[in-house]
Amino acid sequence: MTVETRREKEITVAAITGRMDALTTSDVERTLMRLLDEGARTLLIDLGGLDYISSAGLRTLLAAAKRMKAQAGTMAFVNLKGHAKEVFEISGFYSLFTVYDSVESALERLGR
Amino acid sequence: MFRNRGIAFKLIALVATAGGFIFLCVFGYSYLFSRRTIEKNIEESARNLALATVSRIEASLRSVQKIPLNARYLVESRPLDRAALVDLLLNLAENNQDIYGAAVAFEPGKGKNERGFAPYVYRKDRTIALTELASERIDYPLADWYQIPRELSQPEWSEPYYGEGQGKILRSTYSVPFYVTAKEQRHFGGVIAVDISLERLQDIVSSVKVLRTGYAFLISQNGTVVTHPRKELIMNATIFGMAEEAGDAGLRELGRRMIKGASGLAPLGPGPLGPASLMYYAPIPSNNWSLAVVFPVAELMSDVRRFNGIAAILAVAGLAALSGAVILIARSITRPLRAMVQATGRIAEGDLDAPLPVRMSGDEVGTLTKAFEDMRVSLKQYIGRLTETTAAKQAIESELKVARDIQMEIIPKKFPTFPEGTGVDIHAWIEPAREVGGDFYDFFFLDRSRLCAVIADVSDKGVPASLFMAVTKTLIKAKAALETAPGDVLTAVNEELAAGNGTNMFVTVFFAVLDIETGELLYANGGHNPPVLIRRDGTAGPVEKTGNPVVGVIEGIEYRTGQLILYPGDTLFMFTDGVTEAVNRGGELFGDERLLKEVSAAADPSPASRVAAVRNALARFSEGAPQADDITILAVRYAGPLQSEHTGQA
Repeated sequence: MTVETRREKEITVAAITGRMDALTTSDVERTLMRLLDEGARTLLIDLGGLDYISSAGLRTLLAAAKRMKAQAGTMAFVNLKGHAKEVFEISGFYSLFTVYDSVESALERLGR
Repeated sequence: MFRNRGIAFKLIALVATAGGFIFLCVFGYSYLFSRRTIEKNIEESARNLALATVSRIEASLRSVQKIPLNARYLVESRPLDRAALVDLLLNLAENNQDIYGAAVAFEPGKGKNERGFAPYVYRKDRTIALTELASERIDYPLADWYQIPRELSQPEWSEPYYGEGQGKILRSTYSVPFYVTAKEQRHFGGVIAVDISLERLQDIVSSVKVLRTGYAFLISQNGTVVTHPRKELIMNATIFGMAEEAGDAGLRELGRRMIKGASGLAPLGPGPLGPASLMYYAPIPSNNWSLAVVFPVAELMSDVRRFNGIAAILAVAGLAALSGAVILIARSITRPLRAMVQATGRIAEGDLDAPLPVRMSGDEVGTLTKAFEDMRVSLKQYIGRLTETTAAKQAIESELKVARDIQMEIIPKKFPTFPEGTGVDIHAWIEPAREVGGDFYDFFFLDRSRLCAVIADVSDKGVPASLFMAVTKTLIKAKAALETAPGDVLTAVNEELAAGNGTNMFVTVFFAVLDIETGELLYANGGHNPPVLIRRDGTAGPVEKTGNPVVGVIEGIEYRTGQLILYPGDTLFMFTDGVTEAVNRGGELFGDERLLKEVSAAADPSPASRVAAVRNALARFSEGAPQADDITILAVRYAGPLQSEHTGQA
């Protein structure tokens, strides 16, 4: 499992690939918390390469989202497919978060 | 073999080998060096001794040679009568102590002088005697001493011989030919002969002593032994005869060189001339005899050998002493080591109180003992801690077991029964992945006709999840009694849970209320897997989503209430994601489609049968792969409205 982060102007993009389960999710958590500590205002999480996400993974994403909300920032997801998309649907995350189809459209919207 | 021997043996073997080798090297070198020095000295002193002896002999011979040469002048200058000749001879003998005898021998003439004429004086018992050599018994002109100078026309020393008649004295004669002039012609007149006793030469030669057994000897021009410490060889043996007898070609060659007048140092093997030795030989110029000085090698080397013997004894004694020291050192090492072996053996058997040998020394063995002692103490402490930890772990495990029992007890195990064709038929199965889990199900009646069914999954496992689960279960039951719509129940539960939820732990909940009289099913879904609705005719599909998120994290969410109508024979099959996300050894997920297929393929439509079908399918699918998540199933079949006042009890 890897997390790659990059900057698109004011927006931080974190691409998570592989499996996000109880064992590997702490890596993602560390990376996301670091980005938030560094003061990322707008965080775009790219789940295009995510093969699997467990409830522990969801919890990490929830925690990050809550912190972002507390910092009055914006967090959004892109590229949901397969299992991740299914899990987002079932768990009702669609109702909690903003989800875009692609990085381009997200950047366009978020960049205003 | 060597590897398995003790340290003492190895040390001794190594030290003795190395020490012996060093000793051997030193001895070998000193032996060779001293031997070479001695040999050099021998050569030097042999040459000096031989040459000194030769010059003594030579001086003696030369002084004798002058006598007849002087006499010849008298004899040749004028004819002398017999009386004058005898006077001359007596004078010679009296004035020259070196000579034994002297003669003037005239060449025999024809007629009256047929036998010749040869007056001869010689020493006899401290006086000088006179005799006439020309007699019937002695035919002097045939003697070598007369014949050879006559033929060679030059003075000549004779081979040694025993004189006849005038005492058996070994002698050699120096003969000088003289000539007379008659009728203007010079012709051979005879010889003037001087005898020397070889005893004098023997005295000179035998005065040569080399150590105890070294000696000198003299051989004549044809190799005859003239002087030798072994008297029986004198005049009886020649150097060639001895070489022949012994088959010693080297000796023969040596003899040849000697009579040719050569000089030099030659090694002699053991043979006729005694044991192995070195011989220096040199010629005596006057008579072409040869002197040899024999140096006994063994005797010369005996000092060196004695030195080596003593050194060898010292070496052996030294090595023995060294071995003794090594044994002491090795003992001082191995004794504590053996004690250590015993002690560590006991430690290895688990006796951690076994005392280690007390050792105060600061050497390696002492350090080792100290290290072992530290290890023993550490081991003891570690095992002590391990025992404590194990006890603590056992305590935790037993507490977990109690927790599991409690958790299992708060989940209803007794399913309500209704008369055939009325009420509901319920069956459930729960299998936590660990001792305690975060999944739960619940069912209870709100009143006579309304049945609540709950299935939930806390976003974690173990003790934290089980606590969250217990809270959630209690909250749902409490809120269900207060609110009418399931959506409102979840909204209320969410508010309670989300308030101050620092851990971000959440729970997915499917909460349904079935009115048994009407078959109306109201439900709310907080991010949970949609249950499968199996109609009486066997068609199956997921319950429509409400789109609400998981419960317990985000405050202020309004949960929707969904509605369904169940007909008698319809089954609501609720499950947690432990079912659909069960993984086999290939990493494949069980999945929704497989679940739909298995739940429809049950042997009969009873909830128990459907639960069993899915349970068996999961077991087949996982092939023994470890269960990653809690698995929970709750199946409710609606049988029909109640017919009387009769009510089943939960």
